[in-house]
Amino acid sequence: MGIFKLTIFIILIGGLIPFATYKNFSLMKILSVLFISLGSLMGVIDSLFKLNNKEIYNVTYKLSDIFIVALSINNLTKFFMIIIYLISFFSVIYSFHYLNDSSKALRTALSYFLYSLLIISMIFVVSANNIITFIFSWEVMSLTSYFLVIYNYEDFETIKSGYIYLIFTHIGAMFIYSAFGIMFAYTNSLNFINLSLIPLNIKTLIFILSFIGFASKAGLFPLHIWLPYAHPAAPSHISAIMSGVMIKMGIYGILKIYTMLEFNSIITGYTVLAFGVISGVLGVVYALGQSDLKKLLAYHSVENIGIIITGIGIGMIGQYEKNFAMALFGFTGAILHTLNHSIFKSLLFFGAGSVIHNTKNRSIEQMGGLLKNMKVSGLTFLVGSLAITGLPMFNGFISELIIYFGSFQGLKQLPLTQFASIIAIISLAVVGGLALACFTKVIGVAFLGEPRNDNTSNAKESGIFMLIPMIGLSLICLTIGVFPKYFIKIALYGTETLFLNSIDFHINDYFNFSTSITNISLLFFLILTILFTLKYFCYKTKKIHNTSTWSCGFSKPTTRMQYTDFSYAFSIIKFYKPFVLFKSDYKKIDKIFPNKIEYHLEYLDIAEKYIIQNIAKFLDLFFEKLRWIQHGNIHIYIGYILIVLIILLLLI
Amino acid sequence: MSNLILTLTVLMVLFCLGSSRLLSIIYLIAFQGFLVSVLPFFINDKITISVILFILVTLLIKSFLIPIFLYFVMKRITIKREIEPIIGYNGSVFLGLIIIIISIFIGNKFNFHINHHNTFLFPAGITTLTSGIFLIIARKKAITQVIGYLMMENGIYLLGLILSNHNLNIIEFGILLDLLVGVMLMGIVLHNINKTFDDIDTTLLKSLRDL
Repeated sequence: MGIFKLTIFIILIGGLIPFATYKNFSLMKILSVLFISLGSLMGVIDSLFKLNNKEIYNVTYKLSDIFIVALSINNLTKFFMIIIYLISFFSVIYSFHYLNDSSKALRTALSYFLYSLLIISMIFVVSANNIITFIFSWEVMSLTSYFLVIYNYEDFETIKSGYIYLIFTHIGAMFIYSAFGIMFAYTNSLNFINLSLIPLNIKTLIFILSFIGFASKAGLFPLHIWLPYAHPAAPSHISAIMSGVMIKMGIYGILKIYTMLEFNSIITGYTVLAFGVISGVLGVVYALGQSDLKKLLAYHSVENIGIIITGIGIGMIGQYEKNFAMALFGFTGAILHTLNHSIFKSLLFFGAGSVIHNTKNRSIEQMGGLLKNMKVSGLTFLVGSLAITGLPMFNGFISELIIYFGSFQGLKQLPLTQFASIIAIISLAVVGGLALACFTKVIGVAFLGEPRNDNTSNAKESGIFMLIPMIGLSLICLTIGVFPKYFIKIALYGTETLFLNSIDFHINDYFNFSTSITNISLLFFLILTILFTLKYFCYKTKKIHNTSTWSCGFSKPTTRMQYTDFSYAFSIIKFYKPFVLFKSDYKKIDKIFPNKIEYHLEYLDIAEKYIIQNIAKFLDLFFEKLRWIQHGNIHIYIGYILIVLIILLLLI
Repeated sequence: MSNLILTLTVLMVLFCLGSSRLLSIIYLIAFQGFLVSVLPFFINDKITISVILFILVTLLIKSFLIPIFLYFVMKRITIKREIEPIIGYNGSVFLGLIIIIISIFIGNKFNFHINHHNTFLFPAGITTLTSGIFLIIARKKAITQVIGYLMMENGIYLLGLILSNHNLNIIEFGILLDLLVGVMLMGIVLHNINKTFDDIDTTLLKSLRDL
């Protein structure tokens, strides 16, 4: 527990120091980054070591009679703490060269302070053991992340995105708090205690309410609308933290509530699975339609949350069906995917940030050929892409494979579960395929080919501190992909917490495939090395000359002849037409010598168009009717006070 | 005797609600301040030096300093009377009577452990307070609103007499200080409103709201 406190203290120091030293911009950044990264690194190592002993640490501080800080650190908590500290460590290093506008010194100082608060509040969220601590840290997390999103508050779009995020996060919080309220009504205790004895219908209600709330934080379809707004608006290292770590707090919340309720209901299992599947497939379809690099990554978060929720759904069904292997695979896959997603998504956001920082635009339509100038960013982005698409040798593959295993276990069960499992398997396959299509698009359009404008062709590689985190995370992706055994073991520690009456089992009984993955990967690398060596020796004497990409023998190629992202993605998206709306704007050629012709195509999100906008319209109509209350007449404002005073005096 | 003072206080409220001349309202509020200030003489069981000191300071501020200040403000902005009140004078007096009835009703509901055996103290306090707020609502000129604010404070003072023990006048002093500073600030604000809008009609402030 001592190191736990020390870690938080160091991170807090790192957040407070900038206020004292912001006059000297680089000194401020050095000290702050040093302290926060040191604290985060300590946190990672500490949590990793503590995972081995299954002890549960409980601490309570009584601040007042009502506000009691209660912390409980079990293995699931430690697992999430590893994620938080790990991404925080890389992200803060990344920020050193990313936040390099010295005219915004005070703002940067504030941003470091809020960053440290965000990390600490997330640590408290995962270790909270009573309602008050949880709610308090949840609010701090939501608010600090909101202020971090509106870092560039001069931009109107940023403010708008910030508001959308704030509304969604608070609607979600409202659902969570109402679930807590019902919990309190039935147990009369503010602590997170075992709720297995309360009636089943109340359990279902609590689960549904908290599921909606946590899903809105996690960005599950159709509550994901804020993700594609907030991530492009935020600075890249904040996007990485938010997409990599903060939305995982929603996953943690769902798991936590599930454990507390000891909840066995097949309907909810199917519902969770269905939401996961829908979110996974639609997330990646929408991602395919985006040309804004960060928006695209935001939609991929929706997709990956979908995969994680699918895993949880499989686990819940397995738990109900008393199919131990199915539950184990489902939950372990979900938890491991949480770690994996946080790693490769942060990596991709770092890459995107690096590209956007240097080309000064966000649309991949304007990029091209970046791999030539930005070798490290390009290669690490490629690693991240391979990982997110779930290709072997990288970490995404491992967790998706485990979820596949879980789904296949479901085929042994009753017909309905069989059907659900088949749906899960098919959708996982679809998601994987579409993600691959999406990232070939990004790599092909943005990194390969020829630059489409001057900003892109003049782009230089980013500073060293932006590259270090990217290289580090790529190596972790590769390590998990090649040596999955140890990481599966870490995820299993987390899973153990979910099984309250856990059965003793040995990792090799279920996960012996991990050894063969390692063997095959090593074999692959061996072959790869041999091939490269052969290539080197074969081409040593031959003359190699360079020409522009995709010229295909054409004598005078221009950049306009390249594949654009829309032309690449359109044929795939067309297949999903009922779920993706098109808005095209095209002026027809009406003269013999036509003027400049423009064609504009935009994909609309059905959740935003049909669900959220209708709710917003309804609310707008309702509040428009109440507009007369704010009329600007001071006399009547005071009259309100008088009326309330008299009514209160009469009622008391 | 204390009942007489309370009756006079409530009458001053009705007078204030019914008069249009700013000068007379200032006189009335000065007199009400005087009445309220001397009330502790008649309801306190034992009179100590501190009580006398307290009463004197209250008297000085309530019935001399603030009215004189208001008088000079009125001279400076050269406005003599309230024209076009939001709620007419007769209507105001009538509503004042209704307020008294409601106050008595509320007073019966509360069973305070009253030290002073004076059952009128609470209704009178509520009446004065509520009428103060009512005056703020019903009149347009900012100077009348300052007077409404003063009347409200008198009501609070009366209620405070019930609740506080005899020697715990420290809270009253705090409020008094607030009031003094508040009125002085109001004077400055009034001057500025007058300069900006060529009037002290507070409905003009509507143009300051957003959207």
